[in-house]
Amino acid sequence: MIIVLLLVPLLSALLMLLWPRIAPLLALLSAAVSSLFAAKLLLQVNEQGTLQWLLAGWPTGLAISWQADSLSCLLILLCSILQLLVGFYAFATRARDQLSQGFWPLSTLLQLSLTVLWLSRDLFNLYVCLELLGLVAVALVSLSGGKAFKPALNYLLLSLFGSLCYLLGVVLLYAVYGLLDIKGLAQAWQADWLSSCALLLMSLGLMLKAALWPLHAWLPAAHAAAPAPVSALLSALVVKGPLFILCLLWLQLASVQQAQLVAPLFAGAGLAALLFGGWSALRTPFIKNLVAYSTVAQLGYATLALGLMLKFDQPLIFAALWLFVLAHALAKAACFLAVGEMSATLGGKRLTIVKGASQTMPLAMFAFAVAGGSLIGLPPSGGFVAKWALLQGLWLQGELLLWPLALVLATLLSAAYVFRVVVVAFDRADPVAPDFAPQLLPQWLALLPALAVWAMAMFSEPLLLLLRLEA
Amino acid sequence: MTELSATFIVFAFTAASLIAIGFYSFITGPEPLRRILALNIISAGIFMLMVVLAYRGYDDTAVSVGDPVLQALVLTGLVVAVSATAFALAMLARLEQQKPEQQKPEQNRVAKSQISRPEQ
Repeated sequence: MIIVLLLVPLLSALLMLLWPRIAPLLALLSAAVSSLFAAKLLLQVNEQGTLQWLLAGWPTGLAISWQADSLSCLLILLCSILQLLVGFYAFATRARDQLSQGFWPLSTLLQLSLTVLWLSRDLFNLYVCLELLGLVAVALVSLSGGKAFKPALNYLLLSLFGSLCYLLGVVLLYAVYGLLDIKGLAQAWQADWLSSCALLLMSLGLMLKAALWPLHAWLPAAHAAAPAPVSALLSALVVKGPLFILCLLWLQLASVQQAQLVAPLFAGAGLAALLFGGWSALRTPFIKNLVAYSTVAQLGYATLALGLMLKFDQPLIFAALWLFVLAHALAKAACFLAVGEMSATLGGKRLTIVKGASQTMPLAMFAFAVAGGSLIGLPPSGGFVAKWALLQGLWLQGELLLWPLALVLATLLSAAYVFRVVVVAFDRADPVAPDFAPQLLPQWLALLPALAVWAMAMFSEPLLLLLRLEA
Repeated sequence: MTELSATFIVFAFTAASLIAIGFYSFITGPEPLRRILALNIISAGIFMLMVVLAYRGYDDTAVSVGDPVLQALVLTGLVVAVSATAFALAMLARLEQQKPEQQKPEQNRVAKSQISRPEQ
């Protein structure tokens, strides 16, 4: 089963290079097959509990260890479903947007590297996944050609720097413990200065790659320069990979003292990301940059939840962290697809192009507003469930004033930047005329993930149970 | 690696200084080429550190033995570093090629459509 999940994207990506004519078909097929098998794997893990592998039959300590728990399976499923959806969107708009043929093999490789990343529990294997993910993501950004090369090169250099910081940390840990397997390391862990140094170096690299504040500066330029389906994939999935590793490191390896020491740093960085990201989203004149800055802000919730989890060790906060990630992935995919659709049809990059879009392109605007509702955290959406879990966790810990107030402030900011777009769109006096008749199918495809994120609220009970058990 | 011999310290110090030089010039240098070189110096430092850490003394027949895991990691790391450098250099070359074209918007458009649709 697990072999299918890896081999299907890998083989189809290679086939696409050999036979570019059928590349879109192969990409969609591989995403569909992966989604099916990911769902099956999730069900199996739910029944039988966590699955573990030691690759190639080597003994523990030498082999690369992989593990499929329910969180990993959920993320694999999310990844392949979004891949399928974005693939359909790219297929529907490929002629109009002159999407490069390179999109198909690269996006399939992206799915492959993320799948391995969610499964792997070996520090060096994770490094290889990170590098693959970074290279593929940069190649995807550069597909726009022209003006995208500069932000793409900048992204590449910072991403490589981040990976090298991570690698140096891995080497230091290996020098101390002689182990790369996370489980083995957790047993042998001693909170000495060398391992603290290694953890901090790795965190620095990962924070740079995940665009966590204050190392987020590359993200808006890179995500805004990419083609619409690519921005959707990057914002929804790619930045979550390093975040996942960061959580593995701090929640499984670090000792209680180390976690307590670093908790305020993460929580503070998250809060700053929420405020500065939200503020920048309010100020930028370009609509894609607005959505990209909102990614910076929303990643702040995840960082904040990580910091609070390290501080309080409350399973509900851990569940909140991953609910934020799931809700944000769906909502941001919808936002980027809707915005891409609007800026292709209405012609332009500025925020003012959506003037009157509630009339000219009601479906795309509806998708944006609905997804925006989840970003704000309006009930009953995925964003609301996540925020509720976080607040409930804080409540149980007796934190009633400071953090909830900060959350309220962040929510107001996100409401402000979402409504900034919606208000312009409802200004029907003198709407921007579309360059051509708006296409319906891509707009529906943008609406689908937005509806899914609201449907997440219906399944919040099983989701919460599943995620709480992982903590 | 139980006792810290003088040789070990010299090698480790060299590796550390390579990494430090790379970090410094990555952070200060705004030129992309300089940054690519800085990344290569950092990775050279890290690989050197890995090779030094792999030292396990001599076996009975006075043949030097090393930790094969670290050596395998160095090999993997080298492959990754070389391909990443090649990719970065290729991208830099494309960026430099584009610079003169940006003054002439007409040519730029032609070039762009050629770039974005290589298959047709």
